[in-house]
Amino acid sequence: MLPVLSILLATLLASTLLTFLSGRWARYVALAGSVVFLVEVLLLLASFTQWAGFGAGGVPQYNDPETYPWISISWLTVNYAVGIDGISLVLVLLTAFLLVATVVYSWREEKEPALWFGLVLLTCLGCYGVFVALDILLFFLFWEAVLIPMFFLIGYWGGPRRRYAALKFFVYTHVASIVMLVSLLAVAFYSGAASFDFTSLYGPARALGATTQVFLFLGLFFGFGVKFPIVPFHTWLPDAHVEAPTGGSVLLAGLLLKLGAYGLIRWAVELLPTGLGHLAPLLYAVAIASIVWGSVVALAQRDLKRLVAYSSINHMGIVLLAIAVGSSLGVTAAVLLMFAHGIVSALLFMVSGSVHHTFGTRDINAIGGITPRTPALSTLVMVGSLASLGLPALISFPAEFGALLAAWDRISYWVLLPLLILVVTAAFYMWLMQRMLFGPPKGIPANVHEPPSFELAAMSILAALIVLYGVVPSLLVQVIVNSPIQGWP
Amino acid sequence: MSAFSPAGLLALSGALLSIGLFGILTRRNFILLLISIEIAINAAVLNFVYFAAFAGATGGLTGQAIAVVVIGLAATEVAVGLAIVLALNRLRGSINVAEAATLKF
Amino acid sequence: MSGFDVAFGWAWLIPTLTAVAFVIVGVGGRRMARLEWGGWVAVAFSFAAMVVGILVAIGEMLAPGSYTDSSVTWISIPGSPGTFPNGVQLDIGILVDPISALMLLVVTVVGFLVLLYSIEYMHHDSGLARYYAELSLFLTAMTGLVLSDNLLEFFLFWELVGVCSYFLIGFYYEKPSAASAAKEAFLVTRVGDVLFLLGIFIYFAVYATSGSAPGWAAGGFKFTNGSAPFLAGAMGGNTPLLTVAGLMMLGGAAGKSAQFPLHVWLPDAMEGPTTVSALIHAATMVAAGVYLLAVVSLFLGFTPTDQLAIVAVGGFTTFFAATMAVVNPDIKRVIAYSTISQLGYMVFAVGAGFTMVGLYHLFTHAFFKALLFLAAGSVIHAVGTQDLFKMGGLRKTMPLTAAAFAIGALSLSGFPGSSGFFSKDDILGSVYATLGTHPQYWPFFLLALLTVFLTAYYIFRAWFLAFGGDGPRDATLPHAHEPGWTMRLPLVVLSALAIGAGALVFDPAFASLLPGIGVPPTFRGADLALSAVSVGLVACGFGLAYSFWGGGRVFELSESTWAARVRALLLHRYYFKAGYDWIGLRATYTVARAADFVERYVIDGTVRGFERLFAGLSDGLRRVQTGVVSDYAAYVVGGLVGFLLLLVFLAPWLLQTVGGG
Repeated sequence: MLPVLSILLATLLASTLLTFLSGRWARYVALAGSVVFLVEVLLLLASFTQWAGFGAGGVPQYNDPETYPWISISWLTVNYAVGIDGISLVLVLLTAFLLVATVVYSWREEKEPALWFGLVLLTCLGCYGVFVALDILLFFLFWEAVLIPMFFLIGYWGGPRRRYAALKFFVYTHVASIVMLVSLLAVAFYSGAASFDFTSLYGPARALGATTQVFLFLGLFFGFGVKFPIVPFHTWLPDAHVEAPTGGSVLLAGLLLKLGAYGLIRWAVELLPTGLGHLAPLLYAVAIASIVWGSVVALAQRDLKRLVAYSSINHMGIVLLAIAVGSSLGVTAAVLLMFAHGIVSALLFMVSGSVHHTFGTRDINAIGGITPRTPALSTLVMVGSLASLGLPALISFPAEFGALLAAWDRISYWVLLPLLILVVTAAFYMWLMQRMLFGPPKGIPANVHEPPSFELAAMSILAALIVLYGVVPSLLVQVIVNSPIQGWP
Repeated sequence: MSAFSPAGLLALSGALLSIGLFGILTRRNFILLLISIEIAINAAVLNFVYFAAFAGATGGLTGQAIAVVVIGLAATEVAVGLAIVLALNRLRGSINVAEAATLKF
Repeated sequence: MSGFDVAFGWAWLIPTLTAVAFVIVGVGGRRMARLEWGGWVAVAFSFAAMVVGILVAIGEMLAPGSYTDSSVTWISIPGSPGTFPNGVQLDIGILVDPISALMLLVVTVVGFLVLLYSIEYMHHDSGLARYYAELSLFLTAMTGLVLSDNLLEFFLFWELVGVCSYFLIGFYYEKPSAASAAKEAFLVTRVGDVLFLLGIFIYFAVYATSGSAPGWAAGGFKFTNGSAPFLAGAMGGNTPLLTVAGLMMLGGAAGKSAQFPLHVWLPDAMEGPTTVSALIHAATMVAAGVYLLAVVSLFLGFTPTDQLAIVAVGGFTTFFAATMAVVNPDIKRVIAYSTISQLGYMVFAVGAGFTMVGLYHLFTHAFFKALLFLAAGSVIHAVGTQDLFKMGGLRKTMPLTAAAFAIGALSLSGFPGSSGFFSKDDILGSVYATLGTHPQYWPFFLLALLTVFLTAYYIFRAWFLAFGGDGPRDATLPHAHEPGWTMRLPLVVLSALAIGAGALVFDPAFASLLPGIGVPPTFRGADLALSAVSVGLVACGFGLAYSFWGGGRVFELSESTWAARVRALLLHRYYFKAGYDWIGLRATYTVARAADFVERYVIDGTVRGFERLFAGLSDGLRRVQTGVVSDYAAYVVGGLVGFLLLLVFLAPWLLQTVGGG
């Protein structure tokens, strides 16, 4: 057996290091590294036919598993343990797509390019690690490894208030990750498992009493929830997005928000199902609050990036709702929506960046009627907006449909709230298009032309993925369902 | 050996430590500060020697050995300290420690 | 069986052909040497689609029945012990049955004619590639909708036709009013769409858990899967849940078919090109709501409460929209209100249980309404205005157009022998026959009957204003002339259909597309009286229109009377538009701004409050660092002393109280 997952990790590690060292050739190295990574992931996807299934004692097993002892002190064992199932694989695929798109999009980065591309690769390395790690300590290591490069991406390449935004981002997510770590360690200690390994925790953790599970789940929910982000712990997100450079926003919205959701699925819902069962009403309430709040506040935004940021809160609320439902339908829809939102929000942040470069502003009210001057950019704005508001045949629709269908079965008529919010979401995207794309030209500089070809290329890749997976969602769904969710209540 | 009164010796080393501390807390002159530190250190050295003698053969020479090391350390410390005094005097024309308070908030 | 049933296997070609046109024109349209070539590509492909559509319809006439064809699994999720234990399977399939064959006829024929008409009509416009690409995509989505074999697929195409409509209403996107109308259309129908979605959830959930349903594994939730209608058997009969589901379907249909109270978008949708109005906002897409109700009533079934609600919405809308058409000065908007009103008739019929009669009216209406729009387009093309009060005397310069509009008007008002006469009287007669058992339908029946009079009045008012009289009331209008053959041919074909399509139902082969419609009730004795009443109302409407507007007269309403106030109310569309704008813009935006304020100053303010609190604390604490060595020494000593005190006093006390060992 090839140590496939370690090879992938090594690919990212090597390209990160090489990129840091390669000076003005950094972008070529970064592109080569990310394309190699994407090809490897696609090969992995092609070879992923069947999930390993449940092993002895109903413990889920993982494909391409690798376990090497790492730290061993008396009773405590920490392993380098990695493995994938359908859920991880889809998110790794998302990481690979966004890595390539980000590298292509920021092709002409002029401020410290070696550092920039290296940090982008490092962020994706951390995300990859989070998605494949099966040991608490390893998971936490990668989890933290994401924060630091992102801190620098915002704090060094960001907008005018970058230091404030970077610090806010760091403090929020760091406090959350400490709570998360403590809760995970508590899961390990309370369950009395002799290791931090996911598979050996699985049985004992699920056997914990209801009260313990509820408290542990609460801790994990807070820890992962800030990353989602959930209302009211969400205010780091708009600031971070507005100040972050475009590439940073893409990774932030596309990948970092998914870490929280993934963590919740893998480390909270799978390990503590009874806790979820008792806390589900809380999760529904928080999810619906995020859905409503994100959408309503987005309606009032004038800054394109801020608007997309709030719509992210809305979409991640739907993800949380679907996770809280917990059945195979709900979690499949949640993971599909995570993928969809990753691609769609990445596209929307890229068009925000391109609009900013092209017209010198992101204020929706300041420019208008840009379609005749920049038809390609406008088309991409439309594709992104329509995908984000859930148009069928684009990627978000099957996910949102599944999520709300699953939710209907649990919360019945309450599902009308998120449904009606779909109208509000449509409203702010429609209004955005009306103000920015249509109407008589307004606020357009004289020598405006389409964004550079590499930016259009990156955005077109994402737009193509939106249509491809929107028309044939089963390409993803049949991978996602190959995971332990088959046995979930 | 019994000629030593433990209480008297402990009182002696306690007194030395207190004198040293008093000096450390009240003096602003760097040289006096160093002397006070030396006095306090000597209180510790005295205790080492005394308890080594008290323990007798069971303790071996550990106490005396540490006492010698501490004396050596104290000597080097004074050397470094006086070097700082010289540097400070050259820099500021004063050896008052209260004036050398740039490392504050 | 005949050779035509082979066409069923090729029904998938219809959406595919137009999709190919979409790709060719969408990708290559702007690079073609002449922009109309893109149009001819679209026309050619839609002609091919029409041929297949007609073959499918002929096959269906010769061998009626339901044919499921090439179904693929779109999403399949295995069951788990929580929700949906049998898993969820969503399919994309093609179902050819009589009513979808009927709809295919409508969509492909009108689609082809409108595209042909566009060649000349849109000749001067920029963005032609976009126009033909979007229309081709629309035809793909619409035929896909018609051929859907389950509710999810139906919804999928339903949204796609919605977005095509959005882009085509906003075709002249530089005009703020067009951009605004496009947005309004999308959002108002979206309200209906989310209700529709909730209805789908309910049907899915009930189906997935109903005892007699084999579960999702056996092919998913399809119209043809299980004994139709489910409501009667498998789904548990008349339950409150299914009533809600039916009402949600009505909500979706009301959004798409512009029924009260979601009707406001359709008149504003006239901002789009007239061809788009003819195809999308008269003949096909707006009829999708009626088709939805028909499909649901056939395969799922409505409860009696639902039926009453549908009858009420349809009957009321019929009258309500017609009143607004009475005073409108804009030729396209008059026809748009008329569309809402006629859609109301169809909804009314479907609600009362006469699904096939409703679809029959849908079929005839598609032709005469498309004819009216295309004739109006011909006028607009010639004189460059939509204001009826500026036109006049156009019958002299545009005789063919005037005749076509007159044929459309006669058919719309239900002149005996025209296609509108058969279908509309069929609706009135059928519903009349059930009034005995359903007396609660009476008020809506009367409204629908009264509308016959209004219809004849407003459409002939439009005809007299545009074509009657000696010459244009506005002398600055360009000299009008008849259009070229690409515009004339569709007018002629549609005129023929507007006269003759209604009588097709007497042909048993054609009638098999509307299974169970029976002989039109005009030929039952009791209904002859009703027909006479209705024809009388048409004559009254025509007479009133002639006396007010005939021969170039312009009826002046004195400003002081109560009638003038009614007129103002009607012109303001009962203030619905203003009210919705207030809700949609003012109120919602105010709420959003308030939320944004709370977001910035309350939620984030709390966060910054914490920030300031800790900053202040640390600012106070750092003053301890004086930089004076003696102070640090003092802290050390103080700490030591404190620790020793703790050790001496606190530790024994703790050991005593807590106990230790």
